[in-house]
Amino acid sequence: MKLLMVSVGEGRYAVPADAVAQIVDPAVEVDFHLEESEAVYRGERFPVLDLHAAVGERRGPSPVYLLLEGSRRRAIVPVDGAEAIRDVPAGDIAPLPAFIFARPRRAFRGVFSDGRDPRLLLDENGLL
Amino acid sequence: MSDSAGARLIGFRVGSAGAALPLGIVREVTERPRVVRVPGSHAFVSGVALHGGVALPVYDLKRFDPLWSGQRPPAPAGPVAESGHLIVCDWGEVALGLLGDRVDLVEETETEAGRADGAAAPCGVSDAYVKRVLHRDGEVIVLLDTDRLFASLGVPAAEPRGRRKPGEDDRAGG
Repeated sequence: MKLLMVSVGEGRYAVPADAVAQIVDPAVEVDFHLEESEAVYRGERFPVLDLHAAVGERRGPSPVYLLLEGSRRRAIVPVDGAEAIRDVPAGDIAPLPAFIFARPRRAFRGVFSDGRDPRLLLDENGLL
Repeated sequence: MSDSAGARLIGFRVGSAGAALPLGIVREVTERPRVVRVPGSHAFVSGVALHGGVALPVYDLKRFDPLWSGQRPPAPAGPVAESGHLIVCDWGEVALGLLGDRVDLVEETETEAGRADGAAAPCGVSDAYVKRVLHRDGEVIVLLDTDRLFASLGVPAAEPRGRRKPGEDDRAGG
């Protein structure tokens, strides 16, 4: 399973690469701008989801934007860095137990070993 | 003498409070592993640790307010700020970890046991979660009521032993 490794504040997470339609760097992409809670990318409007707020982190000074595709909708998600793509066997990703969550909808669905620390895998369908 | 006199227990400290669990539910005790915080989880969940390929939920009982009759237990004196050990428990089909310090075996027959009879055990643990109050070497240790505690933490109820059929050995969290 190909995963995009991202940083969100101090946190390090992974996003299924299949769910990432585009990585938008506003420093080089001229056809991208933010309007309140929406982003306009190549003439199309997308909601902006605040992953930083969801994980309790502050947004860094130079975010890049992921255009994520879930089963229900597409949205723009700011992250502080897109570091690498790694191929992680699906069997190496342990599902998170549902009973630890305070609400039914959750932004993360699994965890895997990434060197020294475990890394959480984003649940794009839970987030979007 | 209690009906479970002679039972072996795992004793540990939660902050400055003494607590114990039945040894039978404890799979192992390890050094505190790397624990990753899970956004959106309950406040008393420290996070998850990878343990044998499973995402093991790790609980810090200091953060579980209903467990404490008054203030949460203060941290013990000394330089260690975080709990140093993880007590891995099997509970029905799932495993979970509890953070603790000074983990030790406790033989209940060596103790003077009695039921908690007030609103709170002497070490500040709410009576609702206390099965018995034990005394050892001048210290108070409360045997936690795991049925009530784990249910309150949201852990699925454990099936009575022997009810499951052979071969039903699903992975936790799967």
